[in-house]
Amino acid sequence: MQDAITTLINSSDVQGKYLDDASLENLQSYFRSGDLRARAAMTISANASMIVTKTVAKALLYTDITAPGGNMYTCRRYAACVRDMDYFLRYGTYAMLAGDPSILDERVLNGLKETYNSLGVPVGATVRAVQAMKEVTTEMVGAEAGREIGTFFDHICSGLS
Amino acid sequence: MSIVKQVILNADEELRYPTPGELRTIRSFCKTGEERIRLARTLEEKAQAIVDRGTQKFWQVCPKTPSNSGDRRKTGAAKRDMGWYIRLISYCLLAGDDRPLREIGLVGMKELYTNIGIPLANILQYLRCLKAEAIALLDEAEAAAIIPYFDEIIQELALPGPPYYMNDGPGESEPV
Repeated sequence: MQDAITTLINSSDVQGKYLDDASLENLQSYFRSGDLRARAAMTISANASMIVTKTVAKALLYTDITAPGGNMYTCRRYAACVRDMDYFLRYGTYAMLAGDPSILDERVLNGLKETYNSLGVPVGATVRAVQAMKEVTTEMVGAEAGREIGTFFDHICSGLS
Repeated sequence: MSIVKQVILNADEELRYPTPGELRTIRSFCKTGEERIRLARTLEEKAQAIVDRGTQKFWQVCPKTPSNSGDRRKTGAAKRDMGWYIRLISYCLLAGDDRPLREIGLVGMKELYTNIGIPLANILQYLRCLKAEAIALLDEAEAAAIIPYFDEIIQELALPGPPYYMNDGPGESEPV
């Protein structure tokens, strides 16, 4: 995986250069938002299960997907869905801390769409759920931090569809 | 590798969120960010002078060396390499971690110089001269942040590496 810092270092090293002004500017804004990111991660970590519960209630619980014939019907499949939501939230938090989406690509999205297709998990409903998670999380951490982590939830969605 | 990346990889290893302590580390790392950017800029400005002056000093101490043989290509390559080490140190200052130096510059360093036929003792001497010039050119606080990375390169060269030999009792000892 990469983070905001290692990405800049690697791209400078390939050219054998010091970090130029634009890169240092990027780095500076990452450092400045460090407090915001760390505080948001703290809040999310303390409320993770509640965020997942609210997300599922908001986007999935009262739709056909939990009824017989739906892909969340049977407790086992419901539990698998909750677990995946848990993963999205945790990896979204990692990506926010890193300021870089590569950990999502490597450890979440790699092969996820194919897995979901083969299991019959509807991608549309998953994307709606991740969007709901973005809203629930934003309510909890505030608008500014919500925007930070929101881009990574959007990244998950675009990787799925 | 940076501190942030390290925290994330450790947390993911155990399927958990970063602990409050780890998040505190990230916070203080970010808080010192501007200072570290300033240090990296200072080092970049002085890199050329450190290399030039360090090279002169090295040639005084150790006149018989490939870079002082009159072959301008060799002189250029030696100064370029030393400049690169300083550049890697500037990466380390920004990342707050010695990983960039280690991964890009130290792994395989001895093998490389052995392969191209430069005595390791000379490289060691060269780096010691650069370190001395760096101390002279930087103020005390800057030196305190930067010099440990010079020391790391020097130690890499000065300390014995593999192959290790072990005493496995009577009989012929073999490298492990």
